[in-house]
Amino acid sequence: MASSNISLGMIAFLLRKLFYGFFVLVLVIILISSVIYLAPVDPARLTFGQRSDAKTVEAKREKLGLDQPLYVQLGSYLNDLSPLSKIKIADEQELPYEYLSLLTFSESKMVLKWPYLRESFQTGRSVSAVLREAIPKTIILAFSAIGIAMLIGIPLGVMASLKPNSLFDNSAVVLSVIGFSVPSYVSAMILALVFGYLLHDYTGLETQGAIFDLDDLGDERYFWKNLILPAIALGIRPVAIITQLTRSAMLDVLSQDFIRTAKAKGLSKFKVVFKHALRNAMNPVTTAISGWFASLLAGAFFVENVFRFNGLGQLTVNAMLTYDIPVVLGAVLFTASIFVLINILVDVLYAYLDPRVTVS
Amino acid sequence: MDQLLEVKNLSTFFETEEGTVKAVNDVSFNINRGETIGIVGESGSGKSVTALSIMRLVQEPPGKIKHGEINYFSKGQNPVDLLKLTEDQIRKYRGNAIGMIFQEPMTSLNPVFRCGNQVLEAVELHMDLSKEQSKQRVIDLFAKVQLPDPERIYRSYPHELSGGQKQRVMIAMAMSCNPDLLIADEPTTALDVTVQKSIIELMDALKKETGTAVMFITHDLGVISEIADRVIVMYKGKIVEQGPLKAIFENPQHPYTKSLLACRPPLDYRLRKLPIVSDFMAISKDENGELLLTEKDQNAQELIDKFKITEKETTERYEKLIHQEPLLKVDSLKTWFPATKNFFGKPLTYVKAVDDISFEVYPGETLGLVGESGCGKTTLGRTILRLTQAQSGKVWYKGQNLLTLSDKEMRALRKEIQIIFQDPYSSLNPRITIGNAIKEPMTVHGILNSDQERKAKVNDLLNTVGLSDSHYDRYPHEFSGGQRQRVCIARALALNPSFIICDESVSALDVSVQAQVLNLLIDLREKFNLTYIFISHDLSVVKFMSDRMIVMNKGKIEEMGKTDDIYNSPSKSYTQKLIDAIPK
Repeated sequence: MASSNISLGMIAFLLRKLFYGFFVLVLVIILISSVIYLAPVDPARLTFGQRSDAKTVEAKREKLGLDQPLYVQLGSYLNDLSPLSKIKIADEQELPYEYLSLLTFSESKMVLKWPYLRESFQTGRSVSAVLREAIPKTIILAFSAIGIAMLIGIPLGVMASLKPNSLFDNSAVVLSVIGFSVPSYVSAMILALVFGYLLHDYTGLETQGAIFDLDDLGDERYFWKNLILPAIALGIRPVAIITQLTRSAMLDVLSQDFIRTAKAKGLSKFKVVFKHALRNAMNPVTTAISGWFASLLAGAFFVENVFRFNGLGQLTVNAMLTYDIPVVLGAVLFTASIFVLINILVDVLYAYLDPRVTVS
Repeated sequence: MDQLLEVKNLSTFFETEEGTVKAVNDVSFNINRGETIGIVGESGSGKSVTALSIMRLVQEPPGKIKHGEINYFSKGQNPVDLLKLTEDQIRKYRGNAIGMIFQEPMTSLNPVFRCGNQVLEAVELHMDLSKEQSKQRVIDLFAKVQLPDPERIYRSYPHELSGGQKQRVMIAMAMSCNPDLLIADEPTTALDVTVQKSIIELMDALKKETGTAVMFITHDLGVISEIADRVIVMYKGKIVEQGPLKAIFENPQHPYTKSLLACRPPLDYRLRKLPIVSDFMAISKDENGELLLTEKDQNAQELIDKFKITEKETTERYEKLIHQEPLLKVDSLKTWFPATKNFFGKPLTYVKAVDDISFEVYPGETLGLVGESGCGKTTLGRTILRLTQAQSGKVWYKGQNLLTLSDKEMRALRKEIQIIFQDPYSSLNPRITIGNAIKEPMTVHGILNSDQERKAKVNDLLNTVGLSDSHYDRYPHEFSGGQRQRVCIARALALNPSFIICDESVSALDVSVQAQVLNLLIDLREKFNLTYIFISHDLSVVKFMSDRMIVMNKGKIEEMGKTDDIYNSPSKSYTQKLIDAIPK
């Protein structure tokens, strides 16, 4: 009985969170669109550059719907985005996406389709395709960076907590403060300089490059070693924070009564620390890791830029600089969805880590 | 007698910023196989540190076992000095030959593992059994400690069990590998008296069945009398007296033992105030800083006779009280908490913490509110103060309904109605000096004209509650539990309240300290003409304090009336259960 209640509560919880998440996404779209709309820049002009004639720009503006008021632009964007949308039969031939007709009215149709993110103002490529290229790189980079951070930070924090105020503990604390204080682009440049340039002969690493690219024959090629330096550069700050949080959470847990109980059972120190203490200490660490992870998935512009990694961060900032609205909206939507999803995931993870937490 | 453990000249010291604390100072005693030895003393007497020293679980640093021997006599083998063993060797004894139960069942089990697995761990570690046998053994153990539905408890997490059930799981864990010695460090202090009784009965039964020796540590001599064969009384790190139970109870030699016996609230008669430790002995320090205890020429019985109140006096006081206009009138008060909610967060069912309660409180009286944890007594107190939102009902105070006052009007009234909480450790902000903690509410309510006057008043209050001016600039951590509770009382008094709710205000205190605080509360009641609602799970304390009492159960009033009448002839079986649970 109890278990079925839990899963029902869990489903209701997930539904409610997704429901809220949906609103978050809509709000994000409204906010970004309004800001771009209000900015004193003309994206249509930007696509042609300085020496375009007014007529061409005007035509482009009309084509992109930029001459319409904000709410019309918004409505049409949301309509494109929604899987369930209304299209004009007159436009049917020009639509750049495939769809499934559900209902047909006199002048319009109700159709089912994948969310359509439109095309880049700058390159005319579909935004989905642009994102599909950048996102995997960023995801791999984010996983590597956070993986490094966890593999180093958690054991380091645990070891520091076992001998508080020892030389090891103090060094760990000082190093993590330094690690946290250095901006990632500074460490990125130092790493690139030292290991990609000065020590290039020994390391074989490059100062710049993405992890996959098309070679001259148009085939995809992977350059996994290009992951190493950016991942380390991005991992340094989370290592610092994870070390600190693990240490303080462990110090707290190690003084708890149930640790004494575990010792009184005759358990070995290893079991007491890693089985009984660590899992109790994971809650604050999980919060930190998930937060960092989510923001890493949004793309790390500075580090990506230093290493010319061509990930989501670089894509987003470049799109912002050229007022490539569909790309910006697409990237921000992806990021916002990631945050919503990770938040839900973390809530579920809490419940797994600590049975006292119930999701409801 | 078959010797099991010999503690010889054990000294365990703690290095602190204020210097060396001799927590255990040259202590020697024996434990024989199968006997129950009770170790009694107040907090800081070194009784827990003695137990932890035997298990070699003293936190190091700051603690260190300085010298001594702890010889363990295994059957048919030479004695082993536990203090000379390596860490790996002593682990073979922990949880195996010596099991241990701790004071706080709430925090002594790991919250993230199932109860069954936590006990299983000990069984798998020390016993050579197959996986199925081990699991079966744990379930059998759960049945043995009388847990309902052992299979379910096996799968439960600690937070899904009650405090008493958790302590039973702890007992099962400690007993899981058939230990020769079970160390129980205040195993019932954090529990309701009714639960305490059942736990003690269980331990007694297990001891008789298995022949395990028990070292039972407590601050309460009453509890000891129910279970121990022999008693050791500790005070400030030293053993002041030890002997058979009967001898200690009937013919105590040391003044500290005498005071411990006398300071429990009596059940058969009423006292004006309780005898306290300082009635029996004076504590000073000699030139080396060692404690010097000097016995005062005080006969316990004479003192008690002096404090006795006759039945006539009690009745007169009672009649006088109830013929007044009530100060507080609670009228069908309900406090419900949402238990389940639907998808949109609308409550579907409720936990009825306070369910349709009505009573009156007369000026100058103490109304006792007694019941087990979860009966709603704390919620009732909080609802009256509007610290918890009421569902419906009225609380009339001096003709005003507190529940319908605006926040501003209520704030003005708050200074008249104060509350003293249970836990003196968490109800004081550790970063605020106690002087400022007492002064703050006066500043907030604009009492007195200048800071100087307020400061003078704080010093006045500190003296009233038995502290001194010199404590003004000190921080809470420098005080003992009893002293902190005095600070909380002084803070409550700072606003010249006429009405104080004491919510389990002495439950976290040792019996000897409890007596001092209860005396203080009574003195203050007479001095400032205060009215109390005194909330406690311990009927003996409520009986000592209150003129009338309410017995609460599951959010409702079981019984209400004159304290002595209810105690002498309870009309409900629930009340009888509470009375039976008081250790005699």
